[in-house]
Amino acid sequence: MLKYILNRLLIAVPLIFGVLTLTFFIIRLAPGDPAAFFIQPGISPNVAEQIRAQYGLNDPLPVQYFKWLSNVLQGDFGRSFSRAQQPVVDVIAEALPITVTIAALTLVANFTFGILIGVISAVRQNSFLDRFLTVTALFFYSMPEFWFALMMIILFALKFSLFPASGLNEIGAESFGPVDFVLDRLWHLALPVTVLSINGAAGIARYVRGSMLEVIRQDYIRTARAKGLPEKVVIFKHALRNALLPVVTLMGSSLPFIFSGALFIEVIFAFPGMGRVTVEAIFARDYPLIIANTFISGSLIVLGNLAADVLYAVVDPRIKL
Amino acid sequence: MKVRVERDSSGLHASSRRLLALLLALLALSVSGCGRKGGGSSKNAAVMDSTLVIAMLGDADYLNPVLASTVTSGNIIGLIYPSLLQSEFDTQTGLVNYMALEKKLRPITPGQGKKAPDAAIARSWSMAPDHKSITYTLRKDAFWSDGKPIVSADFKFSYELYGNPVIASARQQYLSELVGADKGKVDFSRAIETPDDTTLIFRFYKPVPEHLALFHTSLTPLPKHLWKDVKPEEFRHSPLNLEPVGAGPYTMRSWQKQQEIVLGSNRKSNLPKPGTIPSITFRVVPDYTVRLTQLQTGAADVVENIKPEDFTALLKANPQIEVKTVGLRVYDYVGWSNIDHEAYRKSGVIKPHPLFGSPKVRLALTHAIDRESIIDGYLKEYGVVCNTDISPSLKWAYNPKITAHGYDPEKATALLKAEGWLPGPDGILQKNGRKFSFVLYTNAGNARRNYASVIIQQNLRAIGIECKLDVQESNVFFENLQSRKLDAWMAGWSIGLEIDPLDVWGSDLNKSRFNFTGYRNPRIDQICELAKQKMEATGARAYWQEYQDIIHRDQPVTFLYWIKETHGFNKRIEGAELNISGTFYNVDDWRLRPSANIAR
Repeated sequence: MLKYILNRLLIAVPLIFGVLTLTFFIIRLAPGDPAAFFIQPGISPNVAEQIRAQYGLNDPLPVQYFKWLSNVLQGDFGRSFSRAQQPVVDVIAEALPITVTIAALTLVANFTFGILIGVISAVRQNSFLDRFLTVTALFFYSMPEFWFALMMIILFALKFSLFPASGLNEIGAESFGPVDFVLDRLWHLALPVTVLSINGAAGIARYVRGSMLEVIRQDYIRTARAKGLPEKVVIFKHALRNALLPVVTLMGSSLPFIFSGALFIEVIFAFPGMGRVTVEAIFARDYPLIIANTFISGSLIVLGNLAADVLYAVVDPRIKL
Repeated sequence: MKVRVERDSSGLHASSRRLLALLLALLALSVSGCGRKGGGSSKNAAVMDSTLVIAMLGDADYLNPVLASTVTSGNIIGLIYPSLLQSEFDTQTGLVNYMALEKKLRPITPGQGKKAPDAAIARSWSMAPDHKSITYTLRKDAFWSDGKPIVSADFKFSYELYGNPVIASARQQYLSELVGADKGKVDFSRAIETPDDTTLIFRFYKPVPEHLALFHTSLTPLPKHLWKDVKPEEFRHSPLNLEPVGAGPYTMRSWQKQQEIVLGSNRKSNLPKPGTIPSITFRVVPDYTVRLTQLQTGAADVVENIKPEDFTALLKANPQIEVKTVGLRVYDYVGWSNIDHEAYRKSGVIKPHPLFGSPKVRLALTHAIDRESIIDGYLKEYGVVCNTDISPSLKWAYNPKITAHGYDPEKATALLKAEGWLPGPDGILQKNGRKFSFVLYTNAGNARRNYASVIIQQNLRAIGIECKLDVQESNVFFENLQSRKLDAWMAGWSIGLEIDPLDVWGSDLNKSRFNFTGYRNPRIDQICELAKQKMEATGARAYWQEYQDIIHRDQPVTFLYWIKETHGFNKRIEGAELNISGTFYNVDDWRLRPSANIAR
């Protein structure tokens, strides 16, 4: 298995490198100019040119590419154009913890509720509860996140004022004790995590229900029941374990999501996470930041897929790597 | 029967009581769960009573006056850093007044001059009779917040930074009259002299009007003792940028990038005094609806640029909110290519545009567009028909005799007919086989322009002109505009308080960066030049009046409307005076009315 993992990782290197090279050229093909912001009345005409020179954008494209390449090979992704020339690594280091917190909470909630609802629906197939859960799940699954988020804000922040409408902490939170600070942070995360996880759990529940239904009809489940095992053991020990195989793939593919951020939620709830960093970088034509973000999400997709494949082998003895 | 009913109802009571208990338990749970809100509210009320919260669209770029280029940064820098002079926009005359401690450029008109000039570092100034140098005398009691005195060398040092091409400051054109600038490089050894700590002399290569000299020599300084060892190529990413040291009414307490900037009143400040509100928090809230919600719940006290369509609901939902307006500085227009851009791009040949080349046709288009109904439908009382790019707020220069080209489709048709545009078989106007059909471009994400563009499309269709609409991503739109690829577009300008329209209308299309229409009129060039030579701003009044007559006649673009900027304020803010020079013009004098639970 170790050999397999190493093999996959080796293949990933040229793959990611290719993605970055493509990104490098594609963003430079897109219309728009990183220095365009400095072309406006009230700003001296030569500023845009000076800025372009500073960014090295006046060099011919191949020169720019090789300069960039040698920097990246030394681990230097450069400085952001749009964020006060902060090193790109710092920009990401600031945004990443926020995104990871939200995503980790969301994923836990997603899978817990998704699996729970899926199992209940499958075990009580075609009952009122199943229908109710199915319809509700579909209802939330098909709802656009940004709209759902705004509705939650209107309901819980405006009408009942139970939760804050946005932000990570209350004004003056720095003066709270550490416990109060964490509670305050959690209180601010409640709405966004709810929005994200209701949406995601609904999807997972559908997967779990489907695969659970298949498993429940297998002979070994009948055997387990015939042995006189309690229903709880049958469902959770014998059926669920097997039903979770497709869910493992889902877990693997959620890895990029943890790091890439949820744009709409970040914009609406004013979190400075990775989603916003990426999109704002694109709008500002902040080349170094765009490439660094592509690097992160590209690597994570590759790693996520690898993790899913490895997890398969771990949970299913029939699969050998 | 009666008993049964009673029993039933009592049963109902029992179950509803259970339900109530459950609800209460849930409520208790939620209150303890989000305990901060219940438990921390009194603590928080105390914090809120001393904190002004301003929700803003985006973060500041730099809190360094040499580098900052956004309005947000400018607002915050104005609170942290000291300034050589105090400037104030006089709403009676529309002129900017400059004040030192003991001298004013102009006498203060009644009802104006609400700010004392205590913030100025200059005690006084004197302009040389030949208008080629200005000498400031600085006060001795001005100190940076780290205790070092503010001296003339700080100003000279800062101007060298502003003028350094490696630093690429957005304000380098402020130095364009200094000695040496005419030869391409300011000669700082002669242009700025500091014979002693309290004397600061600027020298110009040509006579400069006093108001312009004051404007251009009063850029915000940086403390030399902190910055002197920073190399120019490292200037933009120096860690000092994150810890601004100023002398103004506020100091920076913390800056969490993309989240919030917290300012605290600078207890030591005498420029002019410590800020009245102990703490100001600028919070980044990118989504408009959420900013609105925060204003409504009281989580934010000020939200700028509220759309008129949201006023009614907002004020109804929370009577504690008021809308304040400033203006008029911003206008929208429909740009018409005066010249054939394609020919100009390809071969540099300047010839009239086949559709919009004639002033008569452009006049007809203006008559065909119902500007009043755009205003009535969207801006309501917050819009004013715009005739030229000189704002009615600049009263000294505005030409009140100009009457708007009213909505008159018949006149438009007649004008077009005289120009040879006649209806074709499909109802679309034609001339020499060419249909009057074009695409009107605008940038994405502007509800007001979307609204206006639909009305314009209908209006033009009514007189037989086919106008297709296209919305482009802002970067793409701007690039197309600059590279002269658009024939017709809708955009807007925010005007400066000093009139200088040459960038927009100058005949030299290579030099006039924003002359997207390709409008050329030698008299306009002349007027701009003549007006600049007047040593007193008001002396150029006659020129600007003529300028407005010409622009109004030639209609290089169809001016649509001036927009009153509308900002939402919580009524707990007292003493907020909005000024055309900025929403936060006197924020250091604002007060917060304490909330009820503190009074108890």
